[in-house]
Amino acid sequence: MASTAPASTLSFPRETFAKLSPHPYLLAHLQPASTSSIPTRANGRIATQFRTPHMNNGSLTHAEGSAVVRIGDTTVVCGIRAEILLANNVAGYRVDKSSTAPSSKAGYNEAKELDLLVPNIELATGCSPAFMPGQPPSTLAQSLSTRIYSLLHSSGLVDGEDLRIWYQPPDLSDQDKMEDEDEEDAPEPEVKAFWTLYIDILFISLDGNPFDAAWAAVISALKNVRLPKAYWDPDREMILCEDSVAQSKKLQLRGLPIAVTSLVFKAKESSQAKDHRYWILVDPDAFEEGLCDESVTVVIDCGSGKTKMLGVSKAGGTTIGMLELKGIVSLAEKRWVELSDLLNS
Amino acid sequence: MNSDRRRINGPSGGTSAPIYSKYITQDPSSLPPRPTRSRQPNVLRKMFLKTGVTPSASGSAYLELEASPHHPNLTKTGLASLSTSGLKLTCTVHGPRPLPKSAPFSPHIILSTHVKYAPFATRKRKGYLRDASERDLGVHLETALRGVIIGDRWPKSGVEVIITILEGEEDRWWGDEGAGGEWGMMSVLSGCITVASAAIADAGIDCVDVVAGGVAAVVQRSENQSLVLDPVPSEHKDIVAACIVGYLPQRDEITDLWVKGDIGDDGGYEELADNAVQAALGAHRVLVAALKETADVKMGRY
Repeated sequence: MASTAPASTLSFPRETFAKLSPHPYLLAHLQPASTSSIPTRANGRIATQFRTPHMNNGSLTHAEGSAVVRIGDTTVVCGIRAEILLANNVAGYRVDKSSTAPSSKAGYNEAKELDLLVPNIELATGCSPAFMPGQPPSTLAQSLSTRIYSLLHSSGLVDGEDLRIWYQPPDLSDQDKMEDEDEEDAPEPEVKAFWTLYIDILFISLDGNPFDAAWAAVISALKNVRLPKAYWDPDREMILCEDSVAQSKKLQLRGLPIAVTSLVFKAKESSQAKDHRYWILVDPDAFEEGLCDESVTVVIDCGSGKTKMLGVSKAGGTTIGMLELKGIVSLAEKRWVELSDLLNS
Repeated sequence: MNSDRRRINGPSGGTSAPIYSKYITQDPSSLPPRPTRSRQPNVLRKMFLKTGVTPSASGSAYLELEASPHHPNLTKTGLASLSTSGLKLTCTVHGPRPLPKSAPFSPHIILSTHVKYAPFATRKRKGYLRDASERDLGVHLETALRGVIIGDRWPKSGVEVIITILEGEEDRWWGDEGAGGEWGMMSVLSGCITVASAAIADAGIDCVDVVAGGVAAVVQRSENQSLVLDPVPSEHKDIVAACIVGYLPQRDEITDLWVKGDIGDDGGYEELADNAVQAALGAHRVLVAALKETADVKMGRY
């Protein structure tokens, strides 16, 4: 008993050590003194281990689609509200003929041109002491919103056709039109309005890796969206919707992209700096995010049996090269299988 | 509409919420039946309360009230936006933490409350900027909590209570025309008080007692008026008056009282407030059970 008492007074408890010198604390975990123990991170995971994801769909009443995604202690709620944008409220949009409409042009991204997808991330929900309400959105919230926005459009996830509301004008030509007017076909259908999807992403709890969780929540909520059948009522001159589940339709998503973020943790003490030890930590938590500068996010889709890269963003260092990136992608492929099972169930 | 350049605002032409053909018919018989109250007048909705949902905060809690059941004649439920909703609230507490150096000296803790609806919480989409009703709820919540916290134990400190309403209470049934006040706000405030109380206890802030919220209302039933506890506005066509209290059972004290509506004099208001206190006692039982569970988990861990 006498031999154990001094030891406990001379060393800090774990929490104090982690607070006072976080970098050596994480380093000590990754470089254990004894070779018998497996090197783990401070949170008990090994470097290539992800946190277990949990997903829940359709729990919000007023949203057309919703999802709750929990990855470790990071919890995100995503709700999608669909509203109607009338085509004649779009400046410069020609509604006359489908053949001359801009949507018939190749490479035209209607959802982007008309701003039909509106993602916003809110961090000021008390999810973390760093983001308090009553202030304008933080830089992180703005950059995350923009990243989600650009990924939604660059991946072409939502089919523009799903968002159009068509109107077939009745064929009145044979009744009051003159016979000699050259053989006119039935009037062409017109696009009267568009669905606009407001994608609101709220963080309930934040413990690192906000982008992966937010993106998973967006995908899960988009898969959950049910748009009611909408039609143009020429008498009232407005768009009406049918309140019936059978007539509503789901969105046809193109692919199932998954984002995977990793950080590079470097041993920066001078004695260890010679051998340039570094660790790639996948799915980082808030503690690790505070200690690492270099981060890589890859967005991949393995849906067609082949791995497609939809985006790579890397910032803050020079450690990651081609070889390391290959390793990260193969980890992301494993994560894709895990998350796609959850998303499709 | 002023656009916020720090957020993504959507089409500049403006969008409108979908309008369902079923609800603009002139014939009232073709409207889907309104949900009716299946509970006894003195029975509250089932409440789910859990603490510790946000590990990054000092204290947190989540509260959910069950949605009112559909009318038995309604064979198939409509789309998401037509079904009835329950209340879903999350609350986080940050603090007590030191006030910034620039703040003037305070001998007791400074409590600040924020109540914010999520954009998808209500039938009509809410914006990100706080509107008047949210500020109103924040002020009421602060009044209800201020007297409960033993403030002089933390001089020069501040504590923030932040509530996000993931799903609000509806003010009226879909078929009803614009009539009716904001009765839904009363249940929302009552839920806010209960959930904030749980989160403050989870944060380990000393309180004189745990405060619970309760609502009672006088509703018109055919000819006569009757009292109900925990009213759901969409279940009643005519709500005459409603009362919400923040109540401390151990001390038999009311920290916040808010009555809306007109029921004349002769003691009607007193009976209404008494019934709201009864509703608060019901919420208090759930609150205490949830906090016992939290304490068991914490004691087991350490």
